[in-house]
Amino acid sequence: MEPVIELDGLEVRFGGRPILKNLTASLTGRSIGLLGPNGAGKSTLLNTLLGFHAPSGGTARVFGRDIRTHAREVRGLIGYMPENDAFIAEMSGVRFVRLMAELAGLPRGHALERAHEAFFYVGLGEVRYRALGTYSLGMKQAAKLAQAIAHGPKLLFLDEPTNGLDPPARTRMIQLIQEIRDRGDLRLMLSSHLLRDVEECCDEVLILKDGHIAAFCNLAEERRSNRRFLELETRGENNGNFLAAIERLGCQTAAGAQGRLKLVLPEGLEVSRLYEIASEQNVQIRRLSHKRDSLEDIFLKAMETADGRL
Amino acid sequence: MSGAAVSETDIVFNGVSRFYGEVLGINKVSLTIPPGITSLVGPNGSGKTTLMNLMAGLIRPTQGEIRVLGIPPDHPERLCRILGYCTQFDAFPKGLTGYQFLYSFLRLHGMSDAECESRTLVALRLVGLADAAKRPVAAYSKGMRQRIKLAQATVHDPKVMVLDEPLNGLDPMARAEAIALFQQWGAEGRHVIVSSHILHEVDRISDQVILLSHGYVVAEGQIQGVRNEVKEQPMQIHVRCDRPRVLAARLLQQDNVVEAKLNPDGQGLLLRTRDADSFYLLLNHAILEAGLKVESVAPADDDVNSVYQYLIGGEGGTL
Amino acid sequence: MAVYKKTYRPYEGELTPSRSRFLVVTRYAFEDLHRSRFLNIFYLASFLYPLVCALIIYVQHNVSALGLLGVEGANRLISINVTFFLSLLGWQSMLALFMAAFVGPSQISPDLANNALALYLARPFSRLEYVLGKLSVLVILLSLMTWVPGLLLFALEGYEEGWSWMSQNARLASGLFLGAWIWIVVLALLALALSAWVKWKPAAGGLMFGVFFVAAAFGAAVNNVERTHWGHLFNVSYLIGSIWVALFEGANKTTNGAIFFRSPQGEELPLWCCWMVLAALGLVCLYMLTRKIRGTEVVR
Repeated sequence: MEPVIELDGLEVRFGGRPILKNLTASLTGRSIGLLGPNGAGKSTLLNTLLGFHAPSGGTARVFGRDIRTHAREVRGLIGYMPENDAFIAEMSGVRFVRLMAELAGLPRGHALERAHEAFFYVGLGEVRYRALGTYSLGMKQAAKLAQAIAHGPKLLFLDEPTNGLDPPARTRMIQLIQEIRDRGDLRLMLSSHLLRDVEECCDEVLILKDGHIAAFCNLAEERRSNRRFLELETRGENNGNFLAAIERLGCQTAAGAQGRLKLVLPEGLEVSRLYEIASEQNVQIRRLSHKRDSLEDIFLKAMETADGRL
Repeated sequence: MSGAAVSETDIVFNGVSRFYGEVLGINKVSLTIPPGITSLVGPNGSGKTTLMNLMAGLIRPTQGEIRVLGIPPDHPERLCRILGYCTQFDAFPKGLTGYQFLYSFLRLHGMSDAECESRTLVALRLVGLADAAKRPVAAYSKGMRQRIKLAQATVHDPKVMVLDEPLNGLDPMARAEAIALFQQWGAEGRHVIVSSHILHEVDRISDQVILLSHGYVVAEGQIQGVRNEVKEQPMQIHVRCDRPRVLAARLLQQDNVVEAKLNPDGQGLLLRTRDADSFYLLLNHAILEAGLKVESVAPADDDVNSVYQYLIGGEGGTL
Repeated sequence: MAVYKKTYRPYEGELTPSRSRFLVVTRYAFEDLHRSRFLNIFYLASFLYPLVCALIIYVQHNVSALGLLGVEGANRLISINVTFFLSLLGWQSMLALFMAAFVGPSQISPDLANNALALYLARPFSRLEYVLGKLSVLVILLSLMTWVPGLLLFALEGYEEGWSWMSQNARLASGLFLGAWIWIVVLALLALALSAWVKWKPAAGGLMFGVFFVAAAFGAAVNNVERTHWGHLFNVSYLIGSIWVALFEGANKTTNGAIFFRSPQGEELPLWCCWMVLAALGLVCLYMLTRKIRGTEVVR
């Protein structure tokens, strides 16, 4: 796939202090996660790609356009959903999104049409004529998403999109993001502290630490290589015997969280064998899943690396 | 008092209502919160912050009584010694450094200078802000501000900690550290009351859960227990395997399976049953007899998320 | 039958020309201003004086009208000269101050109050275009109040009097034009700078007046105490008045400035000082604007 963002030795300093140090990577996924501890430079990276900060060394390209020379064009291709509140309290939702779309270059008529469409798409159709100052937190988040997509960008920057949302609103936001990712014509860069959000929505993950790239991996490939790791939850009188039996088959076991069992299947052993044993011993297998925490492990390992370099 | 014994080890709400003029905060809430980690879950506006403010004594109930470890909240001189409150909002006195912030509030408790200093340093180290202590709080990042708030709520070693969305803005490592801290406090027998929207974390860390909606307590207790009580809804189990139709056919032969729904991608099955135990044994047999390759088996509603869906649903959602 | 689902479509159409995009900001501001009934009425009322002036000019040149008034022969009721136009400029400029104080505060502070500026600048839209767009709002409004009616009246008088009068008094026209522009630029920059720095709109409006009246009072106090004229440097209306006198009359001063913008003869200060102070004021305002208008704050 055509690379979305190419970082080429990108360096950014604030008053002499280096914030981003020599970042080099080529990001090609449909949806890219951006992770890292506070102060690692995630916001700075997004702001630099948007042109708010000038790089002090190196450069970066968005869809092939250099951010140093074609900053304006780059901004026209990007839709930005910031982490903080960003709205004009007295304007109605539609008017605000219309203004933003016109500033991105859309003619009046099209901007108005697309503002309404964007509101319906994010689920705010009912409240689009109300003043933004009266919106609840979840609505403001959705309105931010609406203004980011109204002008039809090719790349979306989402900074903590589920911040402060209650569970049903979070689910809906994640679903929207997944829908956008699955379309294929609108790429995403998602920066978040919630590993689960990133795991559910992103194909590739870029982990920053102290201004360096600590890790860059492809989640789909990671999941494929985790077929051998299982987590089991059982109930029955013979749990101990069950454990002994599967260990005899060659599985390595360990106790997991919430009383579950983690095990590694040796080559050649299929899950059906486990069921046979369970059936013999009258043990219920209540839960069976392949390892889910791949991203958490990757993240923790990245943080441990001595100076955070790839 | 209405006849219930006053417990010295619990937080007790007895028929508590709080209204703001006409607007409902919480209505007729009766709860007993034992030691350990208790999570408050509910949509925005459901009364979580009201409940926390009532516990901390910042507001008084319109009706009803509250006792925190036997102390009524209208005796702040006693209550504030044993209670620490970490609010949702960012508000700091201007011009203070992190160290000064903790130290000055600690002095209000009447401890000596030396003791305040040592406690402050311990608390700063605990939240990982020892290096940044001399910088003004206004220059802190969001995560650091969250951590100093947490430190401030716990520096005086309270028995009850009320934490309103304490993990907001923390990166994954800081989250894990904070969670470990909560678990340690819970194990020490303190009351740790946490409100959160991140349901899978709530699942992992809480001993008990309180679900709120529109100002009413909709459920409270341990999650497994709550689930079992919601009897109208049969248990849901999600099975991913290579031939779900075959599995469905076999399972539907039993009468405790009430529903089988195929996944849109054709690789999974959502089943509902009234009797979990016999269902699982049945499942085992069915898989073996049909020789199916099972990818995963998961109870689809054994966690806070599904209980939330049943009891609160999408009503609170604002998208 | 076809079922249509609401979905996202990418935009493949044309874009508006980049150079005139700043006018989007201007257009939206005007739409917002139009909603205020008070502003509409005030704006219309500000054309009363020019209208009266037009009537006067008409009456002067219309013998039958003069006859109606019963002053035949005395065909110079009010002389249409420097004083006439300076008074017009002075009066309209004072109204312009009021207009700027009403309109100015709501230009930039709503965009900063909730961080909407970050979204403006995340588009192919620069800080310069933003400021230009907002300035245009004030510039257009205030121009229509000051030099546009002024020049129209000049043209009307010139039409009645003939080409020779016009060429003789060309200084009046240039004085009107340039004088009004200087005032407009000062007002617009000050209004925007205050709007960017002061969140509470009534306070920003009040400060607009404050800069003029309070500073003038301070200048007068300095004058009294030090027995000098240099206190006038604090008095913006004095500075403007002096510059206008210079524009309209050059070296042969006959007037004392305009109404509200007095520059009494005998209390003059060197002209370059007046220019310097005004330029400094403008630069300070520009600096204030650049400090506040950025995409993102960097906290050390």
